[in-house]
Amino acid sequence: MTLYLLYETSSGYSLFQAGGLDEIGQNNEAVRNSVSDLNRFGKVVQLTAFLPFESALDALNQINSVSEGIMTDELRNFLELNLPKVKEGKKAKFSLGVAEPKIGSHIFEVTKIPCQSNDFVHEILRGVRLHFERFIKDLKPGDLEKAQLGLGHSYSRAKVKFNVNRVDNMVIQAIFLLDTLDKDVNSFAMRVREWYSWHFPELAKIVNDNYLYAKLAKFIDDKSKLSEDKLSELTDLLGDEDKAKEVVEAAKASMGQDLSPIDLINVQQFAQRVMDLSEYRKKLHEYLITKMNDIAPNLASLIGEMVGARLISHAGSLTNLAKCPSSTLQILGAEKALFRALKTRGNTPKYGLIFHSSFIGRASARNKGRMARYLANKCSIASRIDCFSENGTTVFGEKLREQVEERLDFYDKGVAPRKNIDVMKDAIERAENKDTDMETEEAPAVPSAKKSKKKKSKSDAAENGDHMAEDKPAVNGGASEDAKSEKKKKKDKRKLEQEQADENTNRTNGAHAEEDGLSKKKKKKSKDQDGEVLQDASDVKKKKKKSKGE
Amino acid sequence: MRPSMSRGVAGHGRGAFRAQNNAGRGGRGGGAFRAQNNAGRGLGVRGRGRGGGRGGANGRGGMRGGNKAVIIPHRHEGVFIAKSKDDALVTKSMVPGDSVYNEKRITVQNEDGAKVEYRVWNPFRSKLGAAIQEGIDNIWIAPGARVLYLGAASGTSVSHVSDIVGPTGVVYAVEFSQRSGRDLVNMAKKRANVIPIIEDARHPSKYRMLVGMVDVIFSDVAQPDQARILALNAAYFLKTGGHFVLSIKANCIDSTLPAGKVYDSEVDRLRADLLKPAEMVTLDRFERDHACVVGSYRVPKKQKTAA
Repeated sequence: MTLYLLYETSSGYSLFQAGGLDEIGQNNEAVRNSVSDLNRFGKVVQLTAFLPFESALDALNQINSVSEGIMTDELRNFLELNLPKVKEGKKAKFSLGVAEPKIGSHIFEVTKIPCQSNDFVHEILRGVRLHFERFIKDLKPGDLEKAQLGLGHSYSRAKVKFNVNRVDNMVIQAIFLLDTLDKDVNSFAMRVREWYSWHFPELAKIVNDNYLYAKLAKFIDDKSKLSEDKLSELTDLLGDEDKAKEVVEAAKASMGQDLSPIDLINVQQFAQRVMDLSEYRKKLHEYLITKMNDIAPNLASLIGEMVGARLISHAGSLTNLAKCPSSTLQILGAEKALFRALKTRGNTPKYGLIFHSSFIGRASARNKGRMARYLANKCSIASRIDCFSENGTTVFGEKLREQVEERLDFYDKGVAPRKNIDVMKDAIERAENKDTDMETEEAPAVPSAKKSKKKKSKSDAAENGDHMAEDKPAVNGGASEDAKSEKKKKKDKRKLEQEQADENTNRTNGAHAEEDGLSKKKKKKSKDQDGEVLQDASDVKKKKKKSKGE
Repeated sequence: MRPSMSRGVAGHGRGAFRAQNNAGRGGRGGGAFRAQNNAGRGLGVRGRGRGGGRGGANGRGGMRGGNKAVIIPHRHEGVFIAKSKDDALVTKSMVPGDSVYNEKRITVQNEDGAKVEYRVWNPFRSKLGAAIQEGIDNIWIAPGARVLYLGAASGTSVSHVSDIVGPTGVVYAVEFSQRSGRDLVNMAKKRANVIPIIEDARHPSKYRMLVGMVDVIFSDVAQPDQARILALNAAYFLKTGGHFVLSIKANCIDSTLPAGKVYDSEVDRLRADLLKPAEMVTLDRFERDHACVVGSYRVPKKQKTAA
């Protein structure tokens, strides 16, 4: 039984034969000692073959595969050429030691070369690494470093360039910018108020909204020129005739000082800037919402785009968020309080960023913690669906949202929520129905066909974007039927239960039907918008998938 | 061996270390260095840390007053002390004329008229720099050394390590974050002895093709399992008898325990992995609840060396 060793370097693959190591013994201590001494090590380990990489590009491809534990064609040829043949049905008389079990199993699967990776192999590989330059005669000292330097740079550049989370980064930047803008627009608007109030102090009391104030400041300009004939325009701006009249009255009896025209021009310019900025903020908000619906539709429909985006930015990426346990998600953003509590052994915080969703505010004080926990559970489920599912529907997010609402009701009025398994079954069914409906009526709705769906359906949908609107009623019909059958099921289940409970469930179901109707309407709207972006979205999805595969 | 070592590392509290350190520095004349430093400007080292933005102008000031600044070698090879109005740790720049993170530069004329540029090493931004300021016995990073630097971040400390090891040494700088990795790669473009690796230090097998055997591992990863990360990398890349320098941030390992206990438990974990700690300094003057442990890997048993 001879042992071969595969040693990968930045300049090429090399194969070593380790003979007579059995005599040294498997004792790690003994191996360690013999490894450090070149004279002894050179006797037991010999170089059998060396395959240099052809180019820098080739080397980059090789290292990318090797670091992922995949055998490349070049490596396969190299191994099959230099190792003894393995006969069919016979056990090989040698084995190949590799640095990492993953690549070993891949080599074994493809070539049937038995591989091993253990402490013993690692020890010898340490020796090879130590003495490598002396094994290869053509290698001048410093050559290996040069190869490492070149490869290190290209490998790292590639890592930065092909970042898996780049879509998330856009969301993260957008939410950061949005927060900054909020702050800045507010302080700028305060500045406009201060400045213009020297001229027209009464206006600040009448108009509370910052944006509107800036607009009015620009429109009114010199308050002495404001008269009744501008009332209609003023009404248009304010949307309220009484207020417009009030403004005109106040302008007449204002105690503000007069400003020179050049001062007024400056105020106007600044007011214009503030208006532009807050319009830009609105656009950015829309951008964020479309982005969130692309990358995390379920999370967005569960707790809203803003809070969802904050969660993603706090975790670093959607993948990181999906990896978080829900207890972590629950207190994301409350780190300071958490660590203070841990240090003082006090009570840990109940919620962090998710407090900004309306659910927790709606719960009564003693149920806030429970609600936060439940919501965090649902959020982490939603983020996982978003991160790992291949088709973007909001069905799950909406269902999860309903569940949270029911839970609120339960704490509030004691209305029993539906069972989780029923809701999820329903959600899966609806997600499938949606797909099959889109795929035209050819494919029958097979409940277990979840896996086999379908990028195709996506592109189909994108092609016949018109179909969607027509399909929609069908979906609704199907869903309502589902709801009915679900009711029936539920009734059957609960027949044994008390009459009272039965009534209860009926009531809740009724409430749900209403809710469903509402959310469907919403969905329809959003779907119409989606039609336009769907093409993009599917493109992005494909890319994402690719990068995941790498 | 072991009892004496444990007296060095774990047995004493932190106070004992400080006392030891101060005595050591005084003996080497470093005490004067410190006193001068504090008296000189009142700001001391911190002044430089805050005034990073003014670094350029100050640097030129240093250049003009270059005759006044005297560079004397530190007892760690490759590190120097610039003695002028206030004293500072400096390294000899590999790339003259280039400032990596807006640090001050000092140009000095040699006896033969050649100009040499030194870069000021801010101990508030670099744990290795802080450890040297605190009078660590040996950093093992010296000219010509091969260093594996885990947790390289943007490459501020790495640039100084690259200065120290010089053109004959190599620094393998590993960093996981892509954002700071970007800066690291940019820094490494100008320094031929830095090999940037953007990869998770938890999986040394992923970058096994890029790294050769090294003499020293410097680890500044601030993770709860940092001892394990260091051990994994040592098993792959650290030569027998090589050394490690580990910086510990107590809060990252356990925020509930007092820092001293965290240091002790980390040291114990190191021992279990054949990493033999030799000394520890606390960096409290520069960073709260930080410490730096230095030791060696797979040291042969004492009887054998004696024999």
